[in-house]
Amino acid sequence: MTLQREKRDYSWGMVVDVDKCTGCQACVLACQAENNVPLNLQDRFERARAMQWIRVERYWEGEFPDIKARFIPIMCQHCENAPCEPVCPVFATYHNNEGLNVQVYNRCVGTRYCANGCPYIVRFFNYWEPVWPEAFRNHLNPDVTVRSRGIMEKCSFCVQRIRRGVRNAERDGRKVQDGEIQTACTQACPTDALVFGNFNDKDSRVSKMKDDDRHYTLLPHLATDPNVVYLAQIDTDRSAGSSHG
Amino acid sequence: MLSALLEFLREKHRTTPVWLKVLIPVLGVGSLGVVAVLGAVLAFVITAWLGQPIPVLGFDQSIEQPIPFSHTIHAGTGVYENSLGDQVQGLGMDCTFCHRTVTTQANAGIPPVQFCTYCHQVIGKDESEPLTQIRMSAGIIGDDPQPINWRRVHRMPDHVRFVHEPHVRYLLDHPDKITGTSTGTNIGAASVCSTCHGDVASMKRTVTQVEPLKMGQCVNCHRDNNAPTDCASCHH
Repeated sequence: MTLQREKRDYSWGMVVDVDKCTGCQACVLACQAENNVPLNLQDRFERARAMQWIRVERYWEGEFPDIKARFIPIMCQHCENAPCEPVCPVFATYHNNEGLNVQVYNRCVGTRYCANGCPYIVRFFNYWEPVWPEAFRNHLNPDVTVRSRGIMEKCSFCVQRIRRGVRNAERDGRKVQDGEIQTACTQACPTDALVFGNFNDKDSRVSKMKDDDRHYTLLPHLATDPNVVYLAQIDTDRSAGSSHG
Repeated sequence: MLSALLEFLREKHRTTPVWLKVLIPVLGVGSLGVVAVLGAVLAFVITAWLGQPIPVLGFDQSIEQPIPFSHTIHAGTGVYENSLGDQVQGLGMDCTFCHRTVTTQANAGIPPVQFCTYCHQVIGKDESEPLTQIRMSAGIIGDDPQPINWRRVHRMPDHVRFVHEPHVRYLLDHPDKITGTSTGTNIGAASVCSTCHGDVASMKRTVTQVEPLKMGQCVNCHRDNNAPTDCASCHH
């Protein structure tokens, strides 16, 4: 049984300030590199089978020339009431005691029930054996499993970095400090739009940010209770009631 | 002899239909084949279940190394025979003298060949074949230094992340949990290695994996010692 948020040692989570996001896709690239995600070539996108653990969704608002691009980075929300977890027949996905929605690759048998259950569409199935060009062979991260064909994968909040941070903290006999662990996407974000941290630490950056007036979660009517909190965009034009002259 | 047998059958079972006469030897040979297949399957299952491949089936885990490095002479404390047939006193070196990163990192690490030549530039006779290879690899002899292709003995599957550092740290803090015994000197971090790796100091030319190192063994030990059994601790 999963512990409540308050009873955990760590409750990992992320705050995404959408107002700061410029849609540069640095997080997407960093994630691909860190987590050994296969390359998405054109045919993968055409078949709607591209694998992106984090993606930047783009929305256009208005008509040219009075037009705005809205960006929102979307990764696994690590829901407390995750719809993907109860449907797995082999318990390959479960919630651990640090608030992570864990995908156990060696347990997964590839039923894809979890991907059907996920309302955020952040789970990806390996339809093919992953292949990298010869030049990329030594670029693979040795801390991350290379997922073979036939299993499901998704954002892990860079659990390999979390484990390393927790291990280093245990070695020194202390708790993990705020900002000590960074996921690949938060590290790569040039505008600091993504922030990763421990929600149980009242002084951590994420704890302070998530109580901002602009906070919201994705698809709140589904009551999934995500561990990723978004901060809404500040629309100066709309608040002023006028458009660009 | 076969014709005599057929004659006997013909006499004995004059009333037996022909198809049955054919079927009896076919079934006899066929059952032998079934037994052979079942035996092979059983041997495979037992081998897989025990996790220790049976050497007679050709799965011997004593892997030949490109250079017959002797753990006995370096780590052992007795008197051993070296590659030239001389009697040599074991040095009793600490495991961590060469495998330096074991106390700080995930991998124990194989020392670079320059590490060997700190001593073996001077120590050891010129006619020794392994030492010649080492010196050539380090560029002391000849002008074509090539890296040594050491072969890995303890290999984890790709979906497992084993980190040495916390295990060595725990066993150092809890000496009563050390189950192995080593014939080498048991100083510091080296005293705990034998718990999983066996008595490497007594393995002469090839290092053998003595423990199955299957997940059941990991989980049992983690349960006994109140270590995390969360899947994400090792599988990510």
